[in-house]
Amino acid sequence: MMVLIILTAAGILAMFASVFNGRSVVLPVSLSGLFAAGYFALLEWNTNTTYFEAMRMDNFAIAFTVVCLFAAFVFLLLYHYMHYSSDVHYAEVISIILFSLAGVVVMVSFTSMLMLFLGIEILSLSLYILAGLKKKDLLSNEASLKYLLMGAFATGFLLFGIAMLYGATGSFMLSDIAYYLGLHKAVAEPFIVTGIIMLMIGLLFKVAAAPFHFWTPDVYQGAPTLVTGYMATVGKVAAFAALVRVFQLGFSPALETYQFLFAAVAVTTMFIGNITALYQKSVKRMLAYSSISHAGYMLIALMAANEVTNGAVLFYSIAYTLASLLAFAVVAILQQKSGSDEVSVFNGLSKSSPLMSITFAVAMLSLAGIPPTAGFFAKFYVFSAAISDGWVWITVLAIINSFISVYYYFAPVIASYMKKGNEEGIVLATPVKVLLAIIALLTLLIGLLPGSLSYLI
Amino acid sequence: MLTSAFYFIAFVTIFFAIMVVVSKNPIHSVLYLVLTFFCISANYIFMLDATFVGMVNVIVYAGAIMVLFLYVLMMMNLNAIAEQKRSVLFKISAAVTGGMLLLVLVAALKDANLQIQGSALEAEQRIGSIKVLGYVLYSKYQLPFEVASILFLVAMIGAVVLGKKDNSTKTIGIEPVK
Amino acid sequence: MGASSLIVLICAAVAFSAGGIAIAKFMVKGTKNTAKGEAYECGIPAKGTPWDQFNVGYYLFALIFLIFDVELIFLYPWAVVVKSIGWPAFVEIVIFMFILFMGFLYAHKKGALKWM
Repeated sequence: MMVLIILTAAGILAMFASVFNGRSVVLPVSLSGLFAAGYFALLEWNTNTTYFEAMRMDNFAIAFTVVCLFAAFVFLLLYHYMHYSSDVHYAEVISIILFSLAGVVVMVSFTSMLMLFLGIEILSLSLYILAGLKKKDLLSNEASLKYLLMGAFATGFLLFGIAMLYGATGSFMLSDIAYYLGLHKAVAEPFIVTGIIMLMIGLLFKVAAAPFHFWTPDVYQGAPTLVTGYMATVGKVAAFAALVRVFQLGFSPALETYQFLFAAVAVTTMFIGNITALYQKSVKRMLAYSSISHAGYMLIALMAANEVTNGAVLFYSIAYTLASLLAFAVVAILQQKSGSDEVSVFNGLSKSSPLMSITFAVAMLSLAGIPPTAGFFAKFYVFSAAISDGWVWITVLAIINSFISVYYYFAPVIASYMKKGNEEGIVLATPVKVLLAIIALLTLLIGLLPGSLSYLI
Repeated sequence: MLTSAFYFIAFVTIFFAIMVVVSKNPIHSVLYLVLTFFCISANYIFMLDATFVGMVNVIVYAGAIMVLFLYVLMMMNLNAIAEQKRSVLFKISAAVTGGMLLLVLVAALKDANLQIQGSALEAEQRIGSIKVLGYVLYSKYQLPFEVASILFLVAMIGAVVLGKKDNSTKTIGIEPVK
Repeated sequence: MGASSLIVLICAAVAFSAGGIAIAKFMVKGTKNTAKGEAYECGIPAKGTPWDQFNVGYYLFALIFLIFDVELIFLYPWAVVVKSIGWPAFVEIVIFMFILFMGFLYAHKKGALKWM
């Protein structure tokens, strides 16, 4: 609750800073807002406080809130150092980010379907706006409009599903729905099945899983690169947390109804994401397809639906968020410098900026799931969640996909180390350097000491 | 009698909804959509006794939102864009997809057991009246109500950021390459 | 008022308006000329096409109007129940209005409510 209030208040303050020429106070206000929100979220660890029967700050919610707050923190710093003087909408962008985080908090902590809908809408609306920030760029306009239209369509499905479940069970509360499903063995009841599937379609759209992924490449490419990074991390992780929460807390008694659907979606998503990524020239587009395929891996954990699912999804989200932040940060810096997002901009990066090339390599290793990084253990936990329930075939397919992905993840890394290019040094602000180094170190550290991170929740 | 009135209103609603899709002129589509919303409001008011929701539907949907639709159509400069020719394959696949969704929904819901829980039934009786709505909204659903205001705020900032004309070329994203 | 009288009323309304149009069609001898087809039969002749591209500014106004339209609608049920619920309802609506008022202030200060 405190988290919501702080984020909203910080957002309003940042918004007014733009009106009263207070550019310089925006960053301190927003960063202290983020830290205060994180502090108050962690304060509620293990308390399971419920607010107004609409949201509950359990450990699952707190963990995902903190992951998203961290990603937003990185985004804000990068945005500040890259665009402080070059964006008229500087303060508004930051305030929209803060409001969207309020939406994220609602999305990961809801106990009532109404809150799920509101949270998703706040986050999506913010992302639609952010995607269209480059007002004079046709690609950015296209990205924003496409995302809005498709997103509104998906929201329609989501609402339809919620309405059907309400009609069948008479309640918006997840616990009531789970109780009803358990009591009535309602798996075959048409309203319930249709409602669950509609809800699933709406949420799968938001996490960009195939066959609802068509918007992703265009939107990710057209949106400003930092915004793409924000979408691919916070947007995706929060939507996935919402998906897990709905299905784990609300629908688990009807598991057999949807388990196979999730398996099919996971396999399609992995193959479509990975195989299409092989053919991309633009790094942004490649990362877009890679983010689609990662939704597929995470769906495997959700499909297994056992006691390790939540932990595996959390671990995967952390690993994926760290690696994606690094990747998008490097691409954004390079794009700002050279104006292009082709693989060729990486040529000679190891000479012009050793730090950027090494952190990018770490990010790619982690995304591909190579051992000394966090990505390896993320995949390991997801696969072991699936295997412990006997889903061997899907694990084999996922491992094949991991091998495919190595090819395209390494193309820019090879370009930065093997190919000759512009060797003029790239100057980075010190905080950006520190930030990149810290995230890369975290990725390695989590990979070396996975420890009990996956048993947190 | 109530049933036949329902069938009448439902028939008119679906008729107008189909007209929205099939009319060639987008302005006509919007006007048919207004009529559809009116019919849905009639359903709320006469069938469900939900007067307030019905009125809100008329004011917000048939009134304000449809005006927004008209503005969007006017902004698009439809003179310049001739209607795109869509291939027959596209039309067929769209029809098949939509038809399949309809088929699945009808098949799933045709023998649905429409019994409502006791508590829900009691609430259902007067759910549309403004008083019951007020009680539910301001006591049971107070947190969603407050969160909705954040949603409005984001929408407002977005409208100003994207819609307001500014002559500055400074935006996020790549610097213009010289 | 029962549903049966509703149907009678609907039929009567349709018959009444359709009847008027039909009678006019038969009784009036129509003449056609260009002046009659114009949007304004007198005054400045209309120029260009009505399908012109409108300024995005209209949309901005409409959107801000819509948000406050919805906000006002929340006030109706509030006004009905505020006496019986008491202070909690009052505090809720104050927070709600405050957040939206911040948005209004922002839009106003940004000059979004000025024409262009």
